[in-house]
Amino acid sequence: MAKKYACYLCKGCGIGEALDFDNLQEVASESGMGEAKAHEALCSPEGLALIKADVDGGANALLIGACSARVKTDEFTFGKEVLVERASLREQTVYCTEAGEEAAADRQMLAADYLRISATKLQKMELPVPFQLEQPAEKAILVVGGGVAGLNAALAAAKAGAKVYLVEKEDALGGFLGKMAKLGPQSPPYQELQDTGLEDLVGQVQGNGNIEVFIGNTVAKTEGAPGNFTVSLSGGQSLRAGAVIQATGWTPYPPEKLADELAYGSSPNIITNVQMEERAKAGDLGGLNAVAFIQCAGSRDANHLPYCSAVCCLVSLKQAMYVKQANPEAAVYVIYKDIRTPGQSEEVYRQAQREGVIFIRRGEEYPKISDHGGKFTVETADVTLNDTVAIEELDLVVLATGMKPNNPKVVEPPLVALGMDQEEAKRLTAEAKAQSDDWSVLNLAYRQGKNLPTLKYAYPDSHFICFPYETRRTGIYAAGTVRRPMRVTQAIEDATGAALKAIQATTAAAAGFAVHPRSGDESFPEFFMQRCTQCKRCTEECPFGAINEDEKANPLPNPTRCRRCGVCMGACPERIISFKNYSVDMIGAMIKSIEVPEEDEEKPRVIVLACENDALPAIDMAAKAGAKWSPFIRFLPLRCLGSVNLVWIADALSSGIDGILLFGCKRGDDYQCHFIKGSELANVRMSKISETLDRLVLESDRVRVEEIGFGEVDKIPGIIAEFMETIESVGPNPYKGF
Amino acid sequence: MDYLLYPGCSLEGGGSHYLVSVEAVFKALGVKLTEIKDWNCCGASIHYVGGSELQTKALNARNLALAQQQGGQDIIAPCSSCYIQMIKTAHEFEEDPKLAAQLNQILAEAGLSYTGGVKVRHVLDVLFHDVGLERIRQAVKHPLTGLKVAAYYGCQTTRPYGEYDSVEAPRTMDQLLEALGAEVVPFDKGVKCCGSGIFFTEMETCARLVGDILGAAQAGGAQLISTACPMCQMNLEIYQSRVNKILHTEYDMPIVFITQLMALAFGCKYGKEAALDRNIVSPKSVLQAFAA
Amino acid sequence: MASKAYDKSFREEVYENVDSGEEIKLCMQCGVCGITCPLRDEMTYGPRQIWSLIRAGKREEVMNCSDIMLCTSCYACKVRCPRGVKVIDVMHGLARYALRQGIVPRKETSKFGKVFWDCIAKTGRIDETDVPMRYTMTAGPIHGIFNALEMMDIGRALLSHKRMKFKVAPGVPPAKKIKGIRGLKKMLKKAAAMSPGKES
Repeated sequence: MAKKYACYLCKGCGIGEALDFDNLQEVASESGMGEAKAHEALCSPEGLALIKADVDGGANALLIGACSARVKTDEFTFGKEVLVERASLREQTVYCTEAGEEAAADRQMLAADYLRISATKLQKMELPVPFQLEQPAEKAILVVGGGVAGLNAALAAAKAGAKVYLVEKEDALGGFLGKMAKLGPQSPPYQELQDTGLEDLVGQVQGNGNIEVFIGNTVAKTEGAPGNFTVSLSGGQSLRAGAVIQATGWTPYPPEKLADELAYGSSPNIITNVQMEERAKAGDLGGLNAVAFIQCAGSRDANHLPYCSAVCCLVSLKQAMYVKQANPEAAVYVIYKDIRTPGQSEEVYRQAQREGVIFIRRGEEYPKISDHGGKFTVETADVTLNDTVAIEELDLVVLATGMKPNNPKVVEPPLVALGMDQEEAKRLTAEAKAQSDDWSVLNLAYRQGKNLPTLKYAYPDSHFICFPYETRRTGIYAAGTVRRPMRVTQAIEDATGAALKAIQATTAAAAGFAVHPRSGDESFPEFFMQRCTQCKRCTEECPFGAINEDEKANPLPNPTRCRRCGVCMGACPERIISFKNYSVDMIGAMIKSIEVPEEDEEKPRVIVLACENDALPAIDMAAKAGAKWSPFIRFLPLRCLGSVNLVWIADALSSGIDGILLFGCKRGDDYQCHFIKGSELANVRMSKISETLDRLVLESDRVRVEEIGFGEVDKIPGIIAEFMETIESVGPNPYKGF
Repeated sequence: MDYLLYPGCSLEGGGSHYLVSVEAVFKALGVKLTEIKDWNCCGASIHYVGGSELQTKALNARNLALAQQQGGQDIIAPCSSCYIQMIKTAHEFEEDPKLAAQLNQILAEAGLSYTGGVKVRHVLDVLFHDVGLERIRQAVKHPLTGLKVAAYYGCQTTRPYGEYDSVEAPRTMDQLLEALGAEVVPFDKGVKCCGSGIFFTEMETCARLVGDILGAAQAGGAQLISTACPMCQMNLEIYQSRVNKILHTEYDMPIVFITQLMALAFGCKYGKEAALDRNIVSPKSVLQAFAA
Repeated sequence: MASKAYDKSFREEVYENVDSGEEIKLCMQCGVCGITCPLRDEMTYGPRQIWSLIRAGKREEVMNCSDIMLCTSCYACKVRCPRGVKVIDVMHGLARYALRQGIVPRKETSKFGKVFWDCIAKTGRIDETDVPMRYTMTAGPIHGIFNALEMMDIGRALLSHKRMKFKVAPGVPPAKKIKGIRGLKKMLKKAAAMSPGKES
């Protein structure tokens, strides 16, 4: 595209009083932006009209020096054909630096640098052209699993107009719902047990013309990418789908493992909650005069399932009511660690209490079960009575066991293995593989493996809070108990959410834009293959497994799987991966456009490469809240810290920048990174550059990675101040002026 | 404005100054009070020793039935103990049809019946919500400027339903006192139990509870404690010498009813109308400056 | 070793016979009642543990526990109970149930309460002079006089401040009865018959 530049400078919000606009106009002009127009309030109707008029006159590459790019986004958007770059003269210049005459020179230099950086960016970027699949994107949705979540996901998607293929491995639909006698109370006043409603649900699915059901089938292979999956079923059919919902449910925790602690297997009347449900369904609850339920049987236990399965309390409440309703005189005990009945399910707890169920809090220790000729005695700590008590003459003991996801566990080798010496890396990889499950649900034909990555306990993980239903494979969504332990009502809600996400994914694939978190982004990574060295870094490090490989280890990108984080761009040692509007060259040039004063001026320069998802909003908020920091800092927002290419560090240091801070999201098991591994990867990569720095006779202290959470606004000034002190003590960059 | 008054046994005895000042205040505000004819005791807190829960409800149902018979206006129950017993019966009558039927069966023994709907109100409730701070401010002739008061509601005064004020941190009396021009001092024992229910029988325990309240008021800089419960007034006041003996303290804290302070501020007579001469720990030195 | 086996008979007895006894079914053992009580330091168990003892069937411990008669009716536990259990009503119910079994959890409270209720039952109201006088005399003639002397300063103060009627002795002059006392008596009899545990 032929660019016609225009530059606007806003004087509103105190910017006008704090900065010398003649100078800024000069800088803009020197940077190739032409004659910058200043206005009292660019976001006012008059200000916007000023810009609009120029756009109508052909201006299509606009530099707006005003507030942060994170605010007034609607105002400063002028259509898809117009590139807009914002220089933050407000938050990152005027708000965050000391006011007054004395600080004026440094403040002015800061503002001028931001104009230069933004001008460079505008010059280096192009309008994205949306990616298009070779054949039109497929909108059909494949649902794997015909239990309550799968059935509801299929219905929700079908009702929204999508074609749905529903695959169930058993010969009948229903999953665990089909094994249940009753559901616990599902609607106000939450006191009555309810029918499962399965027949009606299955009827709706079977009667829906948009849904095609494949019972007795599993998925043999899933190839392709969102908008273009080819799915082979065990029965031989081949289906084309645009997105996949995995609703494969759960498996009971194996009770045999509780033989020692809870005498499972020693008597037909020591049973699990699943067996209890079967007995209830078979109408086999007669003659029970005394029953004990033991909660957390193998749950919240480091030796068994370390987590809470969230449903066992409610299941026991329901089953206690079964017993009470069959025989109101029966003594029913629930021996628990904590009764967990969030929300309205507290009403169910109350109802069980009203019906006379007795609850005993036991603490951590398991109760002891002994058999006295077919009647059991349960001895347990009673926390409230601060005593050990015995419950005798029990006819039945029910162990409330937990849920395991029907999903294979994937253990990934630690990221430090990347770039290690081959032997060690191989060992770590083999170790991880040995801990992973070998079976598969989807049998993905992906370079990074056939299964959905999992973080803990085999639940296919993604950013749990911000992006439920997401897995780390774009276009593949997890719903129901395979995603986390949950009860029926929640599985139904999950199913609906996942169905809508799947529809979004097919829509995005068809239009050629990204799904979350860069929803709507039309850029995508392009590979300059002539210079590829087949190093596999990009195919290994992509957090979403977006890039396949051919036999010669050439990367085969799948843009509809891509989330546009730029991790591949950060990984590539040859720097052959770039986006139309985000590239190694572009950021490098932006860094180089910063004016570095001579050493004797004693004005160091520090750049902060900041994640735009968490760190940048935190920086803006800190500035808005009145925090002040050094005027020698220049922030450069990045899509993800994982996109940081090491050459930028070299670029910065060689142009005389004294220090480089990287602000990324929280990493580790409870990561906050929008792209899962970006922050972690940046950290690993930076830890490897100290060697290089040493070789250049540069102190490794000059580069530091910090984790900044979205809410950690207070931390920012302190981190910056401390880093500035470090830089001062290390002294000026010796390459300054070369 | 027209209300039925349920004085209760206490206001006929140890709380007589409450009754006198309540009548003076409502008269000054132009509010008509008609005593429920032939009312009986509410059972108070100790009822359970001699009677069952249903018998106690029967006592209160009789008063509600009489009130309905005599016009069915809202009942003002100045004594917090009466208030709580009566409002509990009134509430449960509305909530529990089975209980309502039982009570009517019992009332029938005395040729009475009750159909529900009569409201039971506390003095603070009526003063704050029906009369309103504005009218009270207008009625003030001698603002209690500079008087430092601890607002002690007592435990039962807003309970158990919190119908007109918070059960944990009530504010109505604070605001009424401020409307009189008094300064309400910081005091965190406003709803702490004074132990009046056990003052005859568990003397030492009761002394500790009373001591807590007096101590907190004194620490807050209060010149006197204002209350709205005759049990509290009596317990905090007449046992002060005994508390001093048990706890080795020297409290000399006047305990007055909010209505006594109000009467004084309205320009009523110190003795005859505000009945301040009936307080055993004399508030005279603190209050005479405001007397008409 | 378990100190005692759970036994359902006592809890069923309580549900059946104690005023508001069924309320305890809803307790979830959070302990807010116990920690809220202004007399928590005076109690051996507190409400939560008493409920648990009932559920466990520990009749002796509950019936012989003076905690059940300590309540001052401040309603703090009732208003704070997240389950809305009428803690006070149950406590009163238990105390009353114990008294009906011939157990006296607290002697002084029982005596005072008895005098108090008798006054209501006979006259319809409480005579604030008569009740303390009669209660004082329950200690027996000698102790009664000592107690009376001790109460004298208070009585004198109340009398001189127009907050007490003059009485020579308990019942002299006699307390006034309400007009509807006959009807009230019938009502109380009827209510007793309809109460849990069929009181007479």
